[in-house]
Amino acid sequence: METPDAVISTRGLTKHYGSVEALTDLSLDVRHGEIFGFLGPNGAGKSTTIRTLLGFLHATHGSATVLGMDVASESVEIRRLTGYLPGGIALYDSLTGEQVLDYLARLQGRAPYRRADLVERLRMPQADLRRRVRDYSRGMRQKIGVIQALQHDPELAILDEPSEGLDPLMQQAFYAILADLRAEGRTIFFSSHVLSEVERVCDRVGIIRHGRLMAVHEVRELLARRRRRVSIQWRGAAPDASTIPGLVDVTVDGDRLFGTLHGDVSEFVRAVASPSLEDLTIEPASLEEAFLEYYAEEPPTPAAAAPSEAT
Amino acid sequence: MNGALFARTLAWQRLRWIIVSIAIFGWGILIPVVYAAFSDVIRDLANSGAFPEELLSFGSGSLFTLPGAVTLGTQHPLVLAMLGIFAVGATSTAIAGERQRGTLEVLLSRPISRTTVYTSITAGLLLVVASVLFTFLAGFVVGAAIQGVLDELPIEHMPMVLLNGLLLWGAFATFGLAASVSFDRPGPAIGLTLAYLIVNYFFEILGSLWQEAEWTQEFSLFHHFQPAEILAGAVDPIDFVILGATFVVPIVYALVVFPRRDLAAPA
Repeated sequence: METPDAVISTRGLTKHYGSVEALTDLSLDVRHGEIFGFLGPNGAGKSTTIRTLLGFLHATHGSATVLGMDVASESVEIRRLTGYLPGGIALYDSLTGEQVLDYLARLQGRAPYRRADLVERLRMPQADLRRRVRDYSRGMRQKIGVIQALQHDPELAILDEPSEGLDPLMQQAFYAILADLRAEGRTIFFSSHVLSEVERVCDRVGIIRHGRLMAVHEVRELLARRRRRVSIQWRGAAPDASTIPGLVDVTVDGDRLFGTLHGDVSEFVRAVASPSLEDLTIEPASLEEAFLEYYAEEPPTPAAAAPSEAT
Repeated sequence: MNGALFARTLAWQRLRWIIVSIAIFGWGILIPVVYAAFSDVIRDLANSGAFPEELLSFGSGSLFTLPGAVTLGTQHPLVLAMLGIFAVGATSTAIAGERQRGTLEVLLSRPISRTTVYTSITAGLLLVVASVLFTFLAGFVVGAAIQGVLDELPIEHMPMVLLNGLLLWGAFATFGLAASVSFDRPGPAIGLTLAYLIVNYFFEILGSLWQEAEWTQEFSLFHHFQPAEILAGAVDPIDFVILGATFVVPIVYALVVFPRRDLAAPA
């Protein structure tokens, strides 16, 4: 069943090219006001999903709604309220950056309310906007791509690999823009294979593999569930490791104990806390590990096919 | 139709539109000049039997009459090249080119249907083709006036000549646009449209030069462009029907095919 506040909702969405299954039985809800990360390596089906949502591709089976409208029959209205940044965006090289933005704003039919703010935050001075796009660096093109997607203040932004080509400083500025949009109640669907940025920016993440949705999780929950490498040093003999909750793969090297921690950190810390504890190191949980775990599994097992699990 | 896209389509053509318009206006002026200077000589040559009449004509046109010179002027390879820039080059690359560059998805991510994209681009390019044809005919009238032979040209029939020409070149333009919506790269679209133009042209010229092959002209769209007949007041509605059909069928095809195509990510 569809989540009541779902901005994007797909049910059994399938896209086949002949015998090639680009997307299979995708059921997913993206909630209003969240930043949803769509993770997967190249060819996993991220772009196929996005292109189907925007009406560039026609689904073989299944259905999808965006902002409550059907992607097959109300695509134009959906795009009126949506901002889209394609992966590796192509722009009109013979126009200046400003002309591109003006042209796309006219086609959008909505005033570019946010342009001035975006231009300032992404440090795109007027002098650069008046240069032809053909003279732009990759980063500058990407900035224009971000501005054109967001300048008309869309209800939903669909961003395909948005930080590609941006330098670290601009990436920070971009993440801040996304955070502000979320605070204003906008929804962001964010496709990426850069795990660190998904971890940093997104509220929830969907993991796609071979065209199938493998899992949907809160990023916090995913990180909390992750295994962490720990190292403990005691003065004197190490206590019996089997009494420490959640600790597995234990190896002891002199007075130092190494292991992998599963589950609740606070319970673990309580268990190891003692006057003889000299040093404790817990490596930060990484989404990368979680991600690799999904991709290490063979064969693919769609964990989140049921809509209730994918919301 | 979308005004911004229509205006942008015209703007993309601006420079070559200006250059071709100047060139074709000059060509239009030149034809009556050549007619006034050489028509008697050519007629004498034809009457002397020294040259077969077929070799003194070109396609369906000739320099024996001023209306015949209109046809000759519009079927000359130079005009073919000038009008082909828009009716073949611009049309066949219009959508396939955007698709290859990746700008089509930026365009289609706006609230515009594919039907609107197609009709806006088509309207823009047909306007360019019509304006270039008009410029040629205007040049022709100016040339006739300069040579003092304007009385041989029934001006009142010129709008019908323009319509006839627009249907002919519009048929190539809509074919080019139909090819453009069918391919992901402009190369095949240009090749197909150019082949269509060349085959039609070949049939027309072959039939005019070789009597045994005269039947091939019936299969050429160029043969249904008959300014001389129109200016003589003898409009053949069949010509307009045939050209009209070949003009409309690619439009219908494109309107059916383009909205249904899957546009996968550009390679």
